[in-house]
Amino acid sequence: MLKWRIAIGTAGVALGLFGVYRLFTQVPLDNLFALARWLIGAVILHDLILSPLVVGAGWAISRVVPSPGRGFVQAGLIIAGLITVIAIPMIYREDTHPRSKAILQQDYSRNLAILLGIIAGVALLAYAARVARDRSHRSVGLSTNDDASS
Amino acid sequence: MSALRSTARPRLWPRFGSTLRSTAVTARLGRMVGIAFGICFVTGLLSHYQYGPWSWLPEPARPLWGYRVTQGLHVATGTAAIPLLLVKLWSVYPNLFRWPPIKSIKHGLERATVFLLVSSALVQLATGFFNVLNWYPWPWGFVLVHRFLAYVVIGSILLHIAVKLPDIKYGLSQKVADGDVLTEIPWSDNPEAHSNAGPLPPPKTPALSRRGLLAATGAGVGAVVVTSVGETVTPLAPIGLLAVRQSKEGPQRVPVNRTAMQANVVNRATSPSWQLQVTGPRPFTVGLAELEALAAHEAHLPITCVEGWSVGAQWRGLRLIDVVERAGGDANSRIRVVSLEPDGAYNQSMLEGPQVSHALLATHLNGERLDVDHGYPLRLISPNRAGVLNTKWLSRVEVR
Repeated sequence: MLKWRIAIGTAGVALGLFGVYRLFTQVPLDNLFALARWLIGAVILHDLILSPLVVGAGWAISRVVPSPGRGFVQAGLIIAGLITVIAIPMIYREDTHPRSKAILQQDYSRNLAILLGIIAGVALLAYAARVARDRSHRSVGLSTNDDASS
Repeated sequence: MSALRSTARPRLWPRFGSTLRSTAVTARLGRMVGIAFGICFVTGLLSHYQYGPWSWLPEPARPLWGYRVTQGLHVATGTAAIPLLLVKLWSVYPNLFRWPPIKSIKHGLERATVFLLVSSALVQLATGFFNVLNWYPWPWGFVLVHRFLAYVVIGSILLHIAVKLPDIKYGLSQKVADGDVLTEIPWSDNPEAHSNAGPLPPPKTPALSRRGLLAATGAGVGAVVVTSVGETVTPLAPIGLLAVRQSKEGPQRVPVNRTAMQANVVNRATSPSWQLQVTGPRPFTVGLAELEALAAHEAHLPITCVEGWSVGAQWRGLRLIDVVERAGGDANSRIRVVSLEPDGAYNQSMLEGPQVSHALLATHLNGERLDVDHGYPLRLISPNRAGVLNTKWLSRVEVR
């Protein structure tokens, strides 16, 4: 494995250095400073703002939402969150171009609402199906428990 | 010693108890992210080759949908990689809070490369997506930085794989439910860690299971792909709730990237005295009337934008090779086509090799005379060629 690790690592360092070298030789310095600000800003935005919000939301859900439905809430929110991340820039930029470009001409807030509605509906249906199944299982399960104890 | 290390950390320090996080989960998410970035890197290189092929290896004209597939894949995969990467980073978020922050020079170096990986990957995906939206809230030239930052991203991914290979092997060898719990304390420092506690039943996940987490991630990423990819996989256009482009909304059912107004060519392109100049061993000019009379060749060709949209269309016009031969050239000539557009990086383009024989100088699109936004009176359309290199509003063809 060590041989593989050295080979992959060396290839990675070489490719990365090539990229850094080309950036430094081809991109003007003031643009590089702007890029550096973006690189640092992206990590701050992700690590210090977005992630604490997500972790906090997860913690709150584990406190507030009772156990049988919690998994469905979590799954629904993961799917909804991932879609929303993509939709937000589109909502922000919709209708900013000439019509003939056929770009960002949709009502993305409405579209996002439709998608979130579908997710909520499917999560609710899945939860209802689980509850129904558990109920029928429980009536069967009780009798098997009786068998086991007797 | 290990117990000391974990007690020595600050009293107020984040604790991550979720049993959803596991090396087994991370390794699976990481594998998907790695594959996605690999696809983006290779298709990205192919796309850059479109813009500057070597003379001895000109861009082929077949398969005619080649660029449509590779660039559609590039943008769809890059878009899908955004939610995927966010879940992958969530799964290792506790690692940010390891104590002490830097144990040794080697450890510090590793964390620095992880910083480079996370920052470059986030910026690469975000700026790529914003480019698809034609949104440029930064001062640098997009293409150059996207191109060379890609090497930094792929390089730091490879380095990360090399550093983490034992963890990756462990994670992938475990069933998702059985793997250790990933917390802010590395399992090697934590005698109570699930991995160190001997043969135990899998960690309990009180609500959503790890498998459920991966399924929800797949569903979210899948939903993003299915609702956005209709801009290039046209049968999915009707459910394109998150599609950036809608082909049918463009003039003649084809989107436009640069309008005649933006290119500042409306007057010259619609002037009745327009002429096509053809230079070469036997130079000649073609006026509007003769152009219409010559335009008898039909072809069904996709037009593919670097930004990931594409659409098949019916084109009519003159075969480029016929024009080239009339000017005294042949299939081996190098051709430069020049636009009326006064400036702009793409007001001309070069053709060499197979594309010279397969390109069309188009006058009609989907049964109608070209819309001025599509390049009236004459534009280039060639198979397997980046959209912006199909120069519009032609004024000159140079045969060399």
